[in-house]
This record gives sequence, C-alpha cells and structure tokens, in this order.
Amino acid sequence: MDPFQQSSLLMTRRHFFGLNAAGLGTAALAFLLGKDLLAEETSPQQPPIKPAEGGLPELPHFAPKAKRVIWLFQSGGPSQMELFDYKPRLAELRGSDLPDSIRKGQRLTGMTASQDRFPVVSSIYKFAQHGHCGAWVSELMPYTAKVVDELSLIKSMHTEAINHDPAITFFQTGAQIAGRPSIGAWLAYGLGSENKDLPAFVVMITQGGGDQPLYDRLWGSGFLPSKYQGVKFRSVGDPVLFLSNPPGFDSALRRQYLDALGQLDHIKLQEFGDPEIATRIAQYEMAFRMQSSVPELTDLSKEPEHVFKLYGEDAKKPGTFAANCLLARRLAERGVRFIQLFHRGWDQHGKLPRDIAKQAKATDQASAALIQDLKARGMLEDTLVVWGGEFGRTVYCQGRLTEDDYGRDHHPRCFTMWLAGGGIKPGIVHGATDDYSYNITKDPVHVHDLQATVLHCLGIDHTRLTFKYQGRHFRLTDVSGNVVSKVLA
Amino acid sequence: MFFGVGLVKTVEDFGFQGERPVHPELLDWLATEFMQKGWDVKGIVKTMVMSATYRQSSKVTPELLERDPENRFLARGPRFRLPAEVLRDQALAVAGLLVERIGGPSVKPYQPPGLWEEVSFGDTYQPDEGESLYRRSLYTYWKRTVAPPSMITFDATDRETCTVRLTRTNTPLQALNLMNDITYVEAARVLGQRMMKEGGPTPEERIVYVFRVATGRPPRPQEGKLLLDTLHRFLDKYRSDPSGALQFVREGQSPRDETLDPSELASYTSLASLILNLDETITKE
Repeated sequence: MDPFQQSSLLMTRRHFFGLNAAGLGTAALAFLLGKDLLAEETSPQQPPIKPAEGGLPELPHFAPKAKRVIWLFQSGGPSQMELFDYKPRLAELRGSDLPDSIRKGQRLTGMTASQDRFPVVSSIYKFAQHGHCGAWVSELMPYTAKVVDELSLIKSMHTEAINHDPAITFFQTGAQIAGRPSIGAWLAYGLGSENKDLPAFVVMITQGGGDQPLYDRLWGSGFLPSKYQGVKFRSVGDPVLFLSNPPGFDSALRRQYLDALGQLDHIKLQEFGDPEIATRIAQYEMAFRMQSSVPELTDLSKEPEHVFKLYGEDAKKPGTFAANCLLARRLAERGVRFIQLFHRGWDQHGKLPRDIAKQAKATDQASAALIQDLKARGMLEDTLVVWGGEFGRTVYCQGRLTEDDYGRDHHPRCFTMWLAGGGIKPGIVHGATDDYSYNITKDPVHVHDLQATVLHCLGIDHTRLTFKYQGRHFRLTDVSGNVVSKVLA
Repeated sequence: MFFGVGLVKTVEDFGFQGERPVHPELLDWLATEFMQKGWDVKGIVKTMVMSATYRQSSKVTPELLERDPENRFLARGPRFRLPAEVLRDQALAVAGLLVERIGGPSVKPYQPPGLWEEVSFGDTYQPDEGESLYRRSLYTYWKRTVAPPSMITFDATDRETCTVRLTRTNTPLQALNLMNDITYVEAARVLGQRMMKEGGPTPEERIVYVFRVATGRPPRPQEGKLLLDTLHRFLDKYRSDPSGALQFVREGQSPRDETLDPSELASYTSLASLILNLDETITKE
C-alpha cells in the first residue's frame, strides 16, 4: 500500500480519544444537524483568518455576562498587607522571626535568601471596615473603600513565579516562558471586535517610569496572527504609531490619495481576483477613519468638569493612570474588547511606607472612579474590571526594620486582587490567608483559575478556546484552571 | 519564501500531529532529486523557481477560489504580501537609498521617539545617522522587549522564541505605517526626485518610469491616466501651498535636491508614496 494512504488510515490511541472527546458525545447531534463533524475534526488546517471584526464562529460558547474587560494591571507586586489583607495579629508579632511552621522551607528570592533574620512586620497603615459587606480596606485606599460593595475581593490569589518577568508573563499568557499569546490577543482572536474602526485590544501604560520594565510580549500575539496583538495607545506623539500624516500632507490630500490608490487596487482586484486586495482596500479606508476617530477618542477636552472631579485632577495630564482610566472608559464605550492599563512602581523592596502611599495615591481615586463612572452609565453590568499585580509581598522585612521604615520581598503564595462588574458577584470577600498573610487557608485561586473565570464571564469555556501550534492545541490556561464560581453573580 | 506555504503547511511540526503533504509524490520527488543532485541547495531552488507551477499567473477565478482558497493545490501562482524586512528593503532599493554593503554591527534606523523610554529602565533609542539609516533590515538593532514597531506590524517574529512559520496579516496599522512612517515618506521623496531627474522630461514618462521601478511593468493606459490625473491634483494642491510642500519634502536625513521646485517635488513624492503603497508593489505575485 502507498505509505501516505497507509498513514492516513492509521489511527493512534491519542487520535482516537482526541476525536472522541469532542466527537462521540456530539456525534448524534452532528448527524441531526447534517453536519460532517468528523471531517471537520480531522482537518489539520487552522480555522481561516478572519477580517478585523472577525472572531470565531463558535464563540461565545454560552451567553456572556461581560462584553469587554478593563484590566488595571498593577505591575511590581502590590503589598496585600498594606492594602486589603488586614492582619491585626501582626502588630503584636512585629519584629519576631517568621516561624518555620509558616515558611515551610519555602525557597526565597536571591534578594533576601541570605538575610540573617526574617522579622515579621505589620502594616504601618490603619484598616477599617467599609460598605455593607464590611470588607477591611486600608486608609491608603479611601476611594476604593467607598466602592467595596461593587467588588469581589479575592484574598487568596497565588502564582507559580517569584520574579517579575516570569510572573507577569504568566499572568498575561498563562506560561512563565515567553512565546504564548497574551490574554487580550486570545480574546481578540476568539471574540473579534465590536467596533470595526478600533482595534479589539488596546494597551495603555502610565508614563513616568517605574522600578520594573515591561515587555512587548505582555500584549503580544505569540503564535496567533500578529493582528491580534495589543495596540499601544500612547500619550506622547501619535496615540497610535504612524497615525498622523507627514508634515505638510493634509487630510484632504490623503483622501484624494486614497481614492486613487483604491481605484488602482480595484483594477488589480478585478484582474487577479485575490480577496486579499479587497481586504487591503478596506484596511486603508479603516486607517483613514482611524485618523479621525482616534484623535477624537483620545481628546479628553470635551469631558465635563465633574468627570475630572471624579477621576481626579491627574486625569487632565496625559499619560497618568487617571487619564488612562478615563480613556479606558471611552474605549469601552466604543466597544473595544480588551483594554489593559499597566501601572508600574509597586515593587517596594525598601522604603515601602513612603512609596506605597505614593502608588496608592496615583491609582486609588481613578480606579474607584472608573467603577462609579461605568455604573452611572449602565456599563458596569457588561464590563468586567480587574485590579491586581503579578504577586504579593512577604510578611517579613527586607532590609533594615526601623520604627517607621521597612521593605518587603516578592511573595507568590498569596496576594489580593479584585474583580468587579459583568458576571461578578458584588460586595464579597473570597478566600482567606493565615495570620501572617503567608499561606492561603481558604479557597485558593490560581492564576489559571482567574484566567478561566475572566473567560467565563465573556461566555468562553477556557478549555475550548484553543489554537493548534506545533502539533498541540494550546490554550490560555494551559492544562489547568477552574472557574471560580463563588465569585460569579 | 517562494510559494508562501509549504507542501506541508505545518512546517513547525512534521510529526503525526502535523499536516500531511498536499502533494506527497511531488514532495518525494523533490527530496530524492535534492539528494541525487548532491544536496545542491541553489540547484533545487532553481528547479523550483523555473518550474511551470511557480511561473503560473497568480490570477484566480471565483470558482477556483472557492475550491482552493489557500492555493494548496497550486493551480495558480503564489500571491502574498512581502515579509516585513523585504518590504522596507524594497522601498529603500527602489528609491536608490539602500546600502548593499555586507556585514558589520547592527544599526538603528528611524523609530518614533519614546518607545524604549515608556517601558524600559531608562534606555533611550538614538537613531543613527547617514548610511546606517539605509542598510538592509537584516541589520536593524533588535531589542526584544521593545521590538522595532514596523517589523512587528508586518508580522516579523518577535524573536522571543524560534518561529519557523510566519503568519501574514492585513491590517490598518500596516496602511498607516506605509503611508506615514518617515522611512517610507523619505523613500517616496527620494523616489520622487528620481522620477524628476531620471524619469524623462514629461509627467507621462515619469509615471511609466516609477511604475516600472516599483512593479516591474509599465502601467496600462487606464492606470497611467488615473495616475496622471492624480499627479495634477497633487500639483494643484502644492502649487497653492508652497510652505506645506517645503515641509513635506524636508522629511528624512538624506539630502534633498534643492534645484527642484518644492511644490513639484512634493507632488511627485506623494505620487511615489502612492506607488509604494499599491497592493501590487507590496505583494509578490
């Protein structure tokens, strides 16, 4: 027999189960629908790449609660003990050594592993209970405290990575090692865009530096086609790269130019019949529309004064976290699927009391304002807002512990995040940690669990959003992840 | 590189999870041919590009498109947008800016300011001057955490991991890049200068010249007329806006020929940019 025929008849165990997992259960249904499911399953081809507004035909898998996500990424690792994870017993334990029964032989980072002592340090900032839910929030977050009844506070987040680069890559792509698509790219690929004049995935970064760098791959498309990568909206120069016409070349001229270009491309299309040419003509037209729609979108001057009062005066300064929060709301209004803000500077190895206060001040009001603003516009019900960093910080002091100063190292075993809006149960605290905020005592939530939950809110079964690459069906949550149903509305 | 997609599409995976070849006998034949000719790479490449299959027209009928949208059966010639590096190199080459010298350290061509600063520890990107701006894209300095944007926009790999199969997308950001990036604006201006100096005395001849340089064929009458009308529109505009014209033709570091009238040069630059943005120019067919 011809070897190729032979190979096509070969069916391995893996093949058989691969077919059956998706196949047998739905075979009857497929038969009823007259759909050749088996043929589809055995086809080795990727689904064809769709136009910009695209998305996969089988998505969403079920009715979504949220249509879009705004993710306020707090890069550097905010200390849970100074912000949300209230630990009153730490005050009396202050200065005592971290017990081995708590540390359990955990391997620490190179930054503190060689310390002689690991003295426990309590938060210098006070906590109080807020809202009907009675959640404890630190005095550093007075505005967030006012919206706790809208939030699902998850105190039991944990991750696998202990350093920034792998930890943030893990959050963004589901793997610590570079090369996988980011969550926004997955969503752009799976769900497409609600607005054909804007990208499905937009990234904004607070300007003014920070203690840790960010990387293109955090919003990259990995092995997915590059059009799904995050588009950075910048606060200096063009908001989108190469958006402006060159100096001395005006918009009227661009219109004439595009008319001629379109006609010439159209002649080519008629002759050659390649649909890519039609797509290209459409993309040039979209580029032209973006030249007016993006500046209109990023121009905050027409926002009324009460909005700036809500988000804070900072919102008038381009490139601040507050301005980006306001822009995020404007992007959400226009149907951008996944909006991600990055705010750096949470990496307080030393001088934590001073620096964390600055960080909180730069982010607290605008984060809370975004929740209130979305709610007032009736958009909170279908917009999922996520707040958090890549890991937490240690209960023990890094460096010298003094009366009013201390530092904290990276801590992957527990940290706090919050979710709000579309699909999320408001006003709850999920999970708990021990008296040292070192280990989780209740309802642990792994990074893959959180990713699965975010996808669930968008109507996606995280195990079924896959892309075949190098012979494997990859997914954001790799081979794990459970939807955290307790935080769902 | 030649057909846009291999006989086995999943070039990153020739194992059981990969695709089986569309033309197994052809693949077999090519493999044995390659062996028998002493593993002569140049020879096998020549065999492929001189084949009747490769030399077919890229035209496609709706029926064929429906039966074989991705041209896996090779009933027509390949047709796909040039890869990122080739696109830039081509624009520099047709303008006559390309520096073909081989070897040497990486270079820093134009890049919008602030890209490194906004994500890094404070590294700043200082573009080079002179010939380093016009070397092949192969020599472009690559910071993986902030890759050169025009490369990434046109689907170059991010170099985070080994990539053997590139994806090919068609986006508005690519249109903005080709129209407004100083690299392409400058290439258009230098190409505009070439049109005026080397393309002959009349606008008609200059249009034929630039069309041939960019696409390898003269324009058809319909295309030539369209381009001529457009050139006249540009001329009308820039003759009434000499200061705008001067601004436009000042883009880029390469010297401008100051003996040329700025309004005329701006118009030819605009037309050259249009030619560099034609689907046919940026597509291999």
